[in-house]
Amino acid sequence: METIVEINNLTKEFKGKRAVEDVSFSIKPGEVVAILGPNGAGKSTAILMMLGLLHPTSGTVSLFNQKPQEQKVRERIGVMLQQVSIMDALKVKELLALFRSYYPTPLSMEEMIRLTGMQGSELNRRTDKLSGGQKRRVSFALAMAGNPDLVFFDEPTVGMDSTARKQFWEKVRQHANAGKTVLFSTHYLQEADDVATRILLFNEGKLVADGSPASIKQRLLKKAVSFKMDGHFPKEQFLAMEHISDVSEEKGRIVIQTEDTDRVLSSLFSIEMPISDIAIDKGRLEDAFEQLTVEQGVS
Amino acid sequence: MIMLLNECKIEMIRIFRNPYFVFWSLLMPIIFYFIFTKVVDTGVDDQELWNKHFLMSIAVFSVMGSAIMTLGIRVVQERSEGWTTWIKVTPLPSSSYFIAKMVGQSAVHVFSIIVIFIAGIILNGVSMTFVEWVSSAAWILIASFPFLALGVLVGTMKRVDTASGISNIIYLALAITGGLWMPMEILPKTIQLIGSWLPAYHYGNGAWGIIRGQFPEFKSIAILTVYLLLFMVLSIYIRRKQEAV
Repeated sequence: METIVEINNLTKEFKGKRAVEDVSFSIKPGEVVAILGPNGAGKSTAILMMLGLLHPTSGTVSLFNQKPQEQKVRERIGVMLQQVSIMDALKVKELLALFRSYYPTPLSMEEMIRLTGMQGSELNRRTDKLSGGQKRRVSFALAMAGNPDLVFFDEPTVGMDSTARKQFWEKVRQHANAGKTVLFSTHYLQEADDVATRILLFNEGKLVADGSPASIKQRLLKKAVSFKMDGHFPKEQFLAMEHISDVSEEKGRIVIQTEDTDRVLSSLFSIEMPISDIAIDKGRLEDAFEQLTVEQGVS
Repeated sequence: MIMLLNECKIEMIRIFRNPYFVFWSLLMPIIFYFIFTKVVDTGVDDQELWNKHFLMSIAVFSVMGSAIMTLGIRVVQERSEGWTTWIKVTPLPSSSYFIAKMVGQSAVHVFSIIVIFIAGIILNGVSMTFVEWVSSAAWILIASFPFLALGVLVGTMKRVDTASGISNIIYLALAITGGLWMPMEILPKTIQLIGSWLPAYHYGNGAWGIIRGQFPEFKSIAILTVYLLLFMVLSIYIRRKQEAV
């Protein structure tokens, strides 16, 4: 099977500081990949290098087994960068037509218009007169102009309200369902979990984990309550309780894996078990990832 | 090729829709022309020659302004807003984008020259031979290249405010010292001396020669060529440095 993205030992230094350090991964057709990480993790830098807009200090990038700067590659990718700007002094329709003219097999005009969600006289408005949300939708349509096999979205939903976000991901899903590959960056764990089939977890420029959303989520969110207990260890009883995902005995202590330590504690106290020396372990949710916005607020 | 033509057309549409362009490059020069040939008594001996001479001055003034400002500021704006970056990831070659800007801008210059010449005919009944009209228009178009290059140089600036401020100052200083507002001869000696080494005077001088039945002076052509090369080299150098990051 063709490899869509191939990254080998990618490193980028800015004035001696490493923004991206020795990152390697490859992406197969049809994957929806989220680059997840807190601000400053090197997500945008990695994307800019993948697009050939930044030169790596070392390492290689290839898209469709070619350099990202190749014309043939450009014809097969669609891009929405963080900074959304649209060429001014043109009508929405003119801009859509212009972008269609860049690609060998563009989407139909009707399809592009559908992606903007605009209709009638709105399409004759000048791009500089559009609202922020409309500009985003137009730039999304422009990114899709060439019916790309691979799309890049750098923090696409920042500043979108929850309805806009939903609509956006719905359209992306449709595109992915057609067998296309999607790569996006986000600092929302929930978003990566909802949309992606695979998460690349970035921290301080390094790729620290690569796996399915479920495994990454577990790794980030798992917490534990541990304690000593006199007498018999009623494993089955614990497993039957709510919010408990696993129970084990380690070095004379009972360890309960959970996503909600508060609830577990309150259940333990209510059934008055003979337990002592209770400790709460925040698990593997490392400090850096506390910056990750787990839930997406309604902004 | 179709892509390039399409891109040129788009650039032209965008310039014509820019209210600053219409005001500074078409309206202002024509108002100037009206004032200095109809309203103010300039006390020249040969009014008919002055009408022709000043028509060339303001056409040069208009094209020079749009080459430096419309082009330069737009380039800065597109880069600072991230549009230029986006274009780089589309299949449109960067060279086509650049060429379209130059060609589109030049096509707009042809339009400006025609409008201003027509204003001269309507306002003052300026009459010249066909060859004089065409060759002066051709000079104004071709000799604008150093100013396009200056516009590209302005385009390497980081902020729109800086670019628009600096290009405004350069533009007005060049216009005055180049004798485009009032004839060089009535300017102070020092300014005349400085102006004679700057490109604007030579730009005007070529056109003033043509309407007097002379071929543009060699010195003018030489100085304009040197400036063209200088601005090109400078902007390539700066662009390289910026991209090295």
